[in-house]
Amino acid sequence: MSERTGGWGETRMGMVCDRCDWRYLAPGETALQACPHCGSTGMVKLDDDASDSLYGASPELVVPFSVGGTTLAQQVAAFAAGIPFPPPDLTAAALQQRLQRLYLPMWLVDADVTAEWDAEVGFDYDVVSHQERYADGAGWQTAEVRETRARWEPRVGRLQRHFDNVAVPALDSQVALQRVLGTFRLAGALAYHPGTLADAIVRAPDRIPETAWPEAAVALQQRAAQECRTAAGADHIREYRWAPVYANLAWTLMLLPVLATAYLDDDGIPQRVLIHGQTGQVYGAKRGSMERAKRISLTIGAVAIAVFAAGLILALASLMFPPLLVLGLILALAALPIGAGAAVPVTRVWAYNRKQAAVPLEV
Amino acid sequence: MAAFPPDGYVSVASALPGIEVYAPQVQVREAEASMVDFKCPRCQATTAFSVTDGGLRCAHCGYYEPPATPVVGKRAQEFEFTVATVSAAREAEGWGTERKTLRCQSCGSETSLPPGRLTNTCPFCGSHQVLQQDAPDDHLRPRFLIPFRVDPERCHAISREWLGSSWMTPRSLRDAGKVTDLVGVYVPYWTFDAQTSASWRAQVGHQVTDRYYDASDKTWKTRTRTVWRWESGSVTQAFDDLLVAGSGKLSSLLLQNIQDFDTRELVPYSPSYLAGLLAQAYDVPLEASWAAAREKMRDQTRKACYAQASTSQVRSFTMSLDFSDESWRYVLVPAYVLAYRYGGQPFQVMINGQTGAIAGQRPVDWTKVWLAVAAMVAPGLLLGLLGVLASVLGAVVPPSLAVGGGVLVVALVLLIVGAVFGVITLNKAKAMDDV
Repeated sequence: MSERTGGWGETRMGMVCDRCDWRYLAPGETALQACPHCGSTGMVKLDDDASDSLYGASPELVVPFSVGGTTLAQQVAAFAAGIPFPPPDLTAAALQQRLQRLYLPMWLVDADVTAEWDAEVGFDYDVVSHQERYADGAGWQTAEVRETRARWEPRVGRLQRHFDNVAVPALDSQVALQRVLGTFRLAGALAYHPGTLADAIVRAPDRIPETAWPEAAVALQQRAAQECRTAAGADHIREYRWAPVYANLAWTLMLLPVLATAYLDDDGIPQRVLIHGQTGQVYGAKRGSMERAKRISLTIGAVAIAVFAAGLILALASLMFPPLLVLGLILALAALPIGAGAAVPVTRVWAYNRKQAAVPLEV
Repeated sequence: MAAFPPDGYVSVASALPGIEVYAPQVQVREAEASMVDFKCPRCQATTAFSVTDGGLRCAHCGYYEPPATPVVGKRAQEFEFTVATVSAAREAEGWGTERKTLRCQSCGSETSLPPGRLTNTCPFCGSHQVLQQDAPDDHLRPRFLIPFRVDPERCHAISREWLGSSWMTPRSLRDAGKVTDLVGVYVPYWTFDAQTSASWRAQVGHQVTDRYYDASDKTWKTRTRTVWRWESGSVTQAFDDLLVAGSGKLSSLLLQNIQDFDTRELVPYSPSYLAGLLAQAYDVPLEASWAAAREKMRDQTRKACYAQASTSQVRSFTMSLDFSDESWRYVLVPAYVLAYRYGGQPFQVMINGQTGAIAGQRPVDWTKVWLAVAAMVAPGLLLGLLGVLASVLGAVVPPSLAVGGGVLVVALVLLIVGAVFGVITLNKAKAMDDV
């Protein structure tokens, strides 16, 4: 059995894509037909043991989809536009039609921490400085300027605090994903309830808590540093060191909204496209269709040959009727730029695809 | 396991529950008595700062107390121009302008002190007192000073030597000019540090010689003309401990002439350095002094910009200048103010209490000066007279006409040289007289 409810309060099916290895918790009991990420149809149900690990953590917060329909349509249209000789499947309408709601996971860590700490804290203060200008005839002109500087002082202390919902990446590609899609506004996150996600697919974490712990420790330290800065009444903090003892660690999930879609390239391979669920920012591979470009190039080439042949025929006919020689020469010469233009579509698509390929797909 | 909190740290307020914060303990200045009285702990006589020993000495029983604070020199703390300090300095203008009435802790007599005085010697019992005035900002107290290194005996010797060192002064001055008043006084000074970064642009003139064809007289000629080219550059200069006097009561000219104080000998302020000496609080405020220092800095920076130009011919000069790392100190520096009478007239002299440099007024013996000037032009005049006589004789003895002409030329040269030296001498005498 791969259908479980776990801490989710609703039935979800664990599945994995055999091409990109993304794991999902699909809604209901219906298996996914295609991978929302790479479009592969090689979706495999996870066995019970693997599926159990996905249910190990319960969702706590959900960042809702908030991108407006108009914005989304504009962003998708902008993505599809500007590609020379795009594949027939790369249209705004097709991309819109295939949109799937997808949630990316992020760990939320709660912990009680006791620690001794030390740091340098900075206090801002203003100083008065001067800028002067001199010009022959005009003399000196003085302007008083104010600059803000920081005065650094050492502080030590002890803390005994509960840290709630410290966000830690649950995916190896989380940083790369946020780099290409942009960050998520977490302030509007809602409490998870069964049914909140509706038919959306959830990507399962590929980091278990033990793997994510080093980053969680760093995130907790950063949160603690900021709280110590606030406690010290300072404006800045640096060189923060602590010796923490953790208790009551709890791991839950926060779900981030993403829309997934895809288009088929020349070879019929689905090309992934991801869209930020809050801002509508689109990220995906853009490819021109070399097949279309070749067809158009061949057509133009054929026209050039036909024109040249006509010119040749007229030139031969001029042996009997000399005035045709001029027309024949004009046609033969006109065939040359037309023939040269035949190379444009292929060259343009080749250059565009080459430029796109130089930008590595990060996720 | 290391102790918590570390030594020297004390608990401070925390803005968040569950977090304790400890900060290094701030050295709180002891509540200063408004007046410090110097008494010998052994015999209760009055003690005073001894320049020779560099500490407090009891003239009665010989008790000695070594210097209160070590030399910090250039490491003496400098202060930034924070908005808070600048505002306090603005409010402080006029601070300490009222007279203070002091009640002597030894004999109970009351003395009224003029504004700006930091020390007093009770006129009734002779005890030395140092006033700890309330400054509007803690930074605006004298925090460092350069102690006296030159003792009064050496001052007398320096002044005697100086009085007799010029031939322009009366011969009897060295012996007759007795120093009647020798007062050691701590003079308030501001020290300023800053870095100036300037960028400049100007037209720089280059002399170019070329040949041209003059159609009017159909010849080739050579001419020199100035070609102006735009040049630009940037200059960075660092200023360290630029001294500006904080006293408007003493002669700025005399102060300027003895101003070579070495800030490497700064020590933290302690009232014991002031015992038995006079000391003044500043009356030229921080902002006015800083404006004067900036003026010196920017002029020096401008000269450095000019020096970068490829020639000395510069026009349409513009520059922009940024100050950075500005800081200041309020210090007291040692000086002796001397007075002597000569011919019934009072004259003032100042001696740098650290280096012994001296500057002051000296009477000029104008008779000697004019005699000297006359001696300078006399050879030319006499020779000229001789030349005229020889020329006149030329009417009778023709060869003497040529001799007379030659003598006149030499006389003219001698007269010019004598006149130049005479003017220089007169100027020197006038400058000495004008101090």
